[in-house]
Amino acid sequence: GMAGGLEPHLEALRQELRAPGPAVLSVLLALLAVAITFLIWRVVQGRRSSRKAVLLLGLCDAGKTLLFARLLTGKYRDTQTSITDSSAVYRASNDKSTNVTLIDLPGHESLRHQFLERFKAAARAIVFVVDSVAFQREVKDVAEFLYQVLVDSTVLKNAPALLIACNKQDVTMAKSAKLIQQQLEKELNTLRVTRSAAPTSLDGSATGGPAQLGRKGKDFDFSQLPMKVEFVECSARGSKGEEGDADFEGLEKWLAKVA
Amino acid sequence: VGFQKILTLTYVDKLIDDVHKEFRDKYRNEFQQKGTLGLLNGTFDFQDDFMRLLRDAEESSKVRAPTVMKTFEQSLKSQKTVKCMIETRGEKPKEKTKNKKNKGSKKEGTEAVAAPGKASAGDKQPSGVGDREELTKDEILQKNREEFFKRHMKAGEKSSKSPKPEAQKEKGKKPRVWDLGNSNTKVLDYSNSATNGSVEAGPVEEFDPEIALGDRNREPGRLYDLEYESDDEAEEEKVVQNPSKPSAKKGGLGGMFGMLKGLVGSKSLTREDMDPVLEKMKDHLIAKNVAAEIAVQLCESVAKKLEGKVMGTFTTVTSTVKQALQEALVQILQPQRRVDVLRDVMDAQRHRRPYVVTFCGVNGVGKSTNLAKISFWLIENGFSVLIAACDTFRAGAVEQLRTHTRRLNALHPPESHGGRSMVQLYEKGYGKDAAGIAMEAISYARNQGFDVVLVDTAGRMQDNAPLMTALAKLIAVNAPDLVLFVGEALVGNEAVDQLVKFNKALADHSMAQTPRLIDGIVLTKFDTIDDKVGAAISMTYITSKPIVFVGTGQTYCDLRSLNAKAVVAALMKA
Repeated sequence: GMAGGLEPHLEALRQELRAPGPAVLSVLLALLAVAITFLIWRVVQGRRSSRKAVLLLGLCDAGKTLLFARLLTGKYRDTQTSITDSSAVYRASNDKSTNVTLIDLPGHESLRHQFLERFKAAARAIVFVVDSVAFQREVKDVAEFLYQVLVDSTVLKNAPALLIACNKQDVTMAKSAKLIQQQLEKELNTLRVTRSAAPTSLDGSATGGPAQLGRKGKDFDFSQLPMKVEFVECSARGSKGEEGDADFEGLEKWLAKVA
Repeated sequence: VGFQKILTLTYVDKLIDDVHKEFRDKYRNEFQQKGTLGLLNGTFDFQDDFMRLLRDAEESSKVRAPTVMKTFEQSLKSQKTVKCMIETRGEKPKEKTKNKKNKGSKKEGTEAVAAPGKASAGDKQPSGVGDREELTKDEILQKNREEFFKRHMKAGEKSSKSPKPEAQKEKGKKPRVWDLGNSNTKVLDYSNSATNGSVEAGPVEEFDPEIALGDRNREPGRLYDLEYESDDEAEEEKVVQNPSKPSAKKGGLGGMFGMLKGLVGSKSLTREDMDPVLEKMKDHLIAKNVAAEIAVQLCESVAKKLEGKVMGTFTTVTSTVKQALQEALVQILQPQRRVDVLRDVMDAQRHRRPYVVTFCGVNGVGKSTNLAKISFWLIENGFSVLIAACDTFRAGAVEQLRTHTRRLNALHPPESHGGRSMVQLYEKGYGKDAAGIAMEAISYARNQGFDVVLVDTAGRMQDNAPLMTALAKLIAVNAPDLVLFVGEALVGNEAVDQLVKFNKALADHSMAQTPRLIDGIVLTKFDTIDDKVGAAISMTYITSKPIVFVGTGQTYCDLRSLNAKAVVAALMKA
């Protein structure tokens, strides 16, 4: 009865598969085309969302937007406090053809976190701009922001190269990169103690992040971080004032290396 | 522009919109083609356009000349006969002068009607004030008739109420009697102090019967009813107008295309699209214990931010709005400057001065309990704590803190900390001035080398003006490093009122240029709410200060810090 009804159908199917008719062939081809397009789309999307961004972070008035303008156009611009991000493609001045996207993020306390959240996954490298003149006064705030960037889980996973650009070196009172490094290490050392000693978060995870910054037992050192950290001095305004060029060869060299 | 509420430049909003539109239209090409580089390279000669727009805006705001006061001949009064203006007894002369100054013609019209009404009301006023229990049926009827009159002549009534207290005041200066506080003068009596802050001796119980009993004129043994004064002004009927929302047009084919178009491709968000979603989100937030006005403001700001935004492919209006709301909530809970208590204590330690923390809040929110938890946490981190018992009113407040001190010292005995006791209590018994005790405690801590001073104050309602003044004085005089407001997570719309009034009291009574306001919030009783965590949002929205600690129970380890993402997730959960 039933088996007899199925038999002729199965026989017909087997026949079709052995010598596929045009209808079946076209269906198979269509399926193949769809599969290939899907694969290509996936690959293209993967490449597009690979990390190609260099983020400019820092406190308010550190000089990020001016550095951004100088790097891209070479000219001096009067800037205002940024309230949104700006991004543009930057081509390194040497012969390498790869280019990166420079993204200038606002430094204001109420905005910096949401923009960091948005762009941290796409970061190949981070430039943390520090105001060398006001550093002595602001060392706690600088360290706090840097700490938040460093213990972020996405940043720890991707380990983008980190450059700490000590800006405003054209002013005579500016602190040197070495001094800034020492002070930051000391402050971060204290911060990781206080942050990890804070009461645990509501859902049980520790506020300092599961990862301890640097090695336990030893004083904090930038070499203990999983990413490469460099310190460089620069001046976005330049020693010749607004007419001349900016002094940031170290920054440009590092960008060329990272790109 | 940030201070729009202070400067009364009414054209600022419109000016900004105009400038925005004109700039965008003029340089539209540059933006679209060249992007950011266009912004950096292009020269934008906008100065002339801006000045023109500014001039237009200023002129448009000056068009309306201020209304000139009518001269006496022009007013209706000069045309009335003298007879109808003769006042009967009980009428207040001041009311008439007030009405003359009113420019609104409405008041002039109802004046003639109000005059006979006043006559009857004025006669009945003295009898109404008297003891309610003795009213006969007739007089009750008369009183009701009066109130009916009053309700229908609100305009005239309001001006009559204000001259009445002025007349009463002229009888000679009487000290004001607050219905919530008690009137006694023995609070500042220092003559009997026998304690000196040592742990062992119990406080000499200075039982002042007046403070304890409060109300002087009570009958012994009688339980009074809750007195309910009906305010006439409170009965203003505020008709809540629900604007009828335009019903969604669902007409066959057009509707289906609209939906498809919305699902795929670029559709920009309009107000009508977002309104139903925002309504639902607002109700959801209110159901999660966010204060009503804050939920409304939040939804408004999200609507403004999203207006005109182009949606990506395959995103619905609901998802876009939800995501924007979530971002806004996370941003509210992660405020500008994080309060890191340990870091600041270390700083103070280096300068050899104690770090002073003051706890304030309304009654029964858990100040003393959370103070004990925080001192436990500080001891665990190796800081020595002095607890100042500045709650000199509530029975058992000092004993409570003494018990906590004893327990904490048992948990962390002096032997394990180099021979010094990590917690000590500084108290002066009951009935003393809290600000004075706080000052003595701080200098004692400085002499003995304590790292932190935790000042516990009495709970007080935000409406109680003398107690708020006392708190403001304590904070202004002692200049603590951290002022923590303790609020419970169960509170609903009250949170807004509490915080606003506390901040206002602190700002009003401070002599300094920059007054010390609330620096942080301690959110207590968090374990009693499941996911109705809206109080956290209300409090941080009002003060824009962070939630420093969260209390989740009654043991010493139940102290947590806020995790913004978890709280927002609980809030947005359906």
